[in-house]
Amino acid sequence: MNKKVSKKDIAQLLKTWSQQFNVLAPSRDSGVAAMAEWDGKDTSFLDWYRNTVVPPKASFLPPMEAMFRFRKDEEGYQIEPPAKNGQKQLLFGIRPCDARAMAILDMTFEDAYKDPYYLEKRKKAVLVGLGCTNPCESCFCTSMGTSPTDPTNVDLMLIDIGDHFFIEEVTAKGKELIAKTSGLKEATKNDEAEAEKARETAYNKVSRKLDTEGIKDNLLESFDDEDFWEKVAAKCISCGICTLLCPTCYCFDINDELVKGEGTRFRSWDSCGFSLYTKMPMENPRQEKWRRVRQKVCHKYEFYPMAFDVIACTGCGRCIRLCPVNWDITQVIESVPARVKGAK
Amino acid sequence: MKQESEWEPKLLGFLCRWCSYAGADLAGTSRKKYPANIRIIKVPCSGRVDSLFILKALRLGFDGVLVSGCHPGDCHYQTGNYRARRRIAITKRFLEYLGVEPQRLQASWVSASEGGKFSEVVTDVTQGLKEVGPNQLFERKKNGAKAKAGSKGTA
Amino acid sequence: MEQKLRQEAKALLEQGKVDWIIGFAPGSLKFTTTPLITQDKDDAEQLVINPFITNNLANFLTEIKGRVGIVAKGCESRSIVSLIQDNKVARENLVILAVPCPGIIDLAKIERLVGKDRDELDDITRDGDRVSVKVDGKKKEFPIAQVLFDHCLACELPTPQEYDIILGEPRLPAPELKVSGQSIASLKEMTPAERWASWENELSRCIRCYACRNVCPACFCQRCFVEETEPQWTLPMPHWQDNLIFQIIRNIHVAGRCTDCGECERVCPVNIPLRSLTREMYDIVGELFQFKSGMDKDALPLMVHYEQEEAEDFFR
Repeated sequence: MNKKVSKKDIAQLLKTWSQQFNVLAPSRDSGVAAMAEWDGKDTSFLDWYRNTVVPPKASFLPPMEAMFRFRKDEEGYQIEPPAKNGQKQLLFGIRPCDARAMAILDMTFEDAYKDPYYLEKRKKAVLVGLGCTNPCESCFCTSMGTSPTDPTNVDLMLIDIGDHFFIEEVTAKGKELIAKTSGLKEATKNDEAEAEKARETAYNKVSRKLDTEGIKDNLLESFDDEDFWEKVAAKCISCGICTLLCPTCYCFDINDELVKGEGTRFRSWDSCGFSLYTKMPMENPRQEKWRRVRQKVCHKYEFYPMAFDVIACTGCGRCIRLCPVNWDITQVIESVPARVKGAK
Repeated sequence: MKQESEWEPKLLGFLCRWCSYAGADLAGTSRKKYPANIRIIKVPCSGRVDSLFILKALRLGFDGVLVSGCHPGDCHYQTGNYRARRRIAITKRFLEYLGVEPQRLQASWVSASEGGKFSEVVTDVTQGLKEVGPNQLFERKKNGAKAKAGSKGTA
Repeated sequence: MEQKLRQEAKALLEQGKVDWIIGFAPGSLKFTTTPLITQDKDDAEQLVINPFITNNLANFLTEIKGRVGIVAKGCESRSIVSLIQDNKVARENLVILAVPCPGIIDLAKIERLVGKDRDELDDITRDGDRVSVKVDGKKKEFPIAQVLFDHCLACELPTPQEYDIILGEPRLPAPELKVSGQSIASLKEMTPAERWASWENELSRCIRCYACRNVCPACFCQRCFVEETEPQWTLPMPHWQDNLIFQIIRNIHVAGRCTDCGECERVCPVNIPLRSLTREMYDIVGELFQFKSGMDKDALPLMVHYEQEEAEDFFR
């Protein structure tokens, strides 16, 4: 039997969970909408129309992270791993698009190789999803294998049914958490029907569509069409917004901060949109802007599908909404020459 | 407060090689006294001093920066000090707007014959820095102490 | 105005007077536009002029080769003039299509006023000094001083001085300096230590996407100091200290070039109030050297020129 929780009781629920977890929830306290440590009272994010600007990947792959400290003494370099905080994170209010993005990131950080920094946080984390009731104009999740209320990649999924949230128990981890949580009400048949209605309504509200059929092959065929890439790249300003704030982009740079014989090695977000990203001593294979734009598109829609059989885009729409020049990836995909030719 | 009186400011001086550096030399050879708080970097001209040098010095923990060059009209390269003046003027005003104490960026014209003036300037500037106290502008401890967007629990 | 623009742009391309047209086309989201950079005369039909033409198109001039016809609001024209002063573009390679600009609508301000997301708004229309917003079937009216971008409220040049073709009647400036200067004024009420702490706080969320720099027509360095590795002036990871140094030096570098077009602040994805830096620098330059960027194409750039006697008071 599924449970439900009154909207008024969310604060109480989060307080309960705070005893066991480091609860993170959407917040604007830092000046930008992002997942942040829950302050113990604010639940205004439940009414937010939009998703966070900073994607929840930041809780697992932070913008900047210390990898280890090092020190030089008589015996050589001493390495000191970063202090593990041991905290279990509970991300409350993660949207289905971002939860799917986490599953996509797992393919790189767990399947392709084991990234200890990422997995340390990821394996212990609980994701509690919050279904969208009002998808944005820039959202196209339904085209990317997910939906505004998709429970696939979370442990628990909350669906707005008026005064209450209907709780869908998805994973064993989620079920266990609910079993240990007191004060939840039993959901009725009617609640279940309401939840189903909410799912359908939200699904139908997503107006932006992208036909994913054949994208990979289209891109492969038009890969060398320099004229096309130059044209679509013309207005790009090569900033890092669409990549750094993409929930599935994971590129990072590694640098040392040195202070007199000791230091810290950091990794921090990097972007293939930057011209220096591929700079090497002798050459830069992506010196021209169109090559970088092509890389960004193809990595998500061609190379990632080749490696993992999934498109590394979840339709969250951040790149469209936040772009300084309204560079719209759905328009670009639709205008790939091989695709236009195929459609005729 | 006792500790503060023991603290000595560190001042970084960028001195033009034609005038102010020679002025500092003269101060030394004529046995003028000035505080040992200044560390000197010889630059070809005050116009060589990029605002970035000033910021970097403050970021590295210097308590103040002094830029010194030839008097207006006396630049070895004709116009270097005029350009320095514009650049330092906007840098100084901008830093003060951001909240940097005015004493931390100082400038002077000291000619090769002004050993006395050089020692006075360094004495004055050092005194000013003693009054404002240590440079804590870029203290690292602040970083990460507060909740920052998405980067909780790290660096 | 739009019709005339399309005709002129098409004619310029057809007659071979320009190789490129840079203007605005409708965006893919409500109340947005997008830069149109084209060599195709048929694309001229897409050109629009409306209260949402946010971008500073002068930014694209330095990367395009050939002769360019460019749509320019007042602020763009000043950026263009500034680029001419710096020999980054040649006047003879440009055909400036001047748009007398009534100011651009700041959607974030409208969102705050009506308490709704931009996606939820049905329509935004401007009629003279008022802007009406249709939401949930109801109409709400606001004076423009409440909904235009801060930098538009401080605009000194709505109509370009430097142009070849003018589209519509010239407009005179009607600044609302009190409103536009609000954020800087409240910063100045703080103590220096509070101000510094406030900047630490703001810059702490910078993610180094460099959108502020890349969207800026005045930031045209081949390689930015912040990316230098030998010597490494700042670290590439987003420590607030280095983020702040980046902004300070960026502002010093664009002093006398920044025309207060406000793009840096508009594009910042993490809401850093960057115009409170750029505008202050603009005012400092104006006060110390009576210099206004991008007003006179024959004037020497700020940092090239000097007077025998100026800005002396703090020199010992």
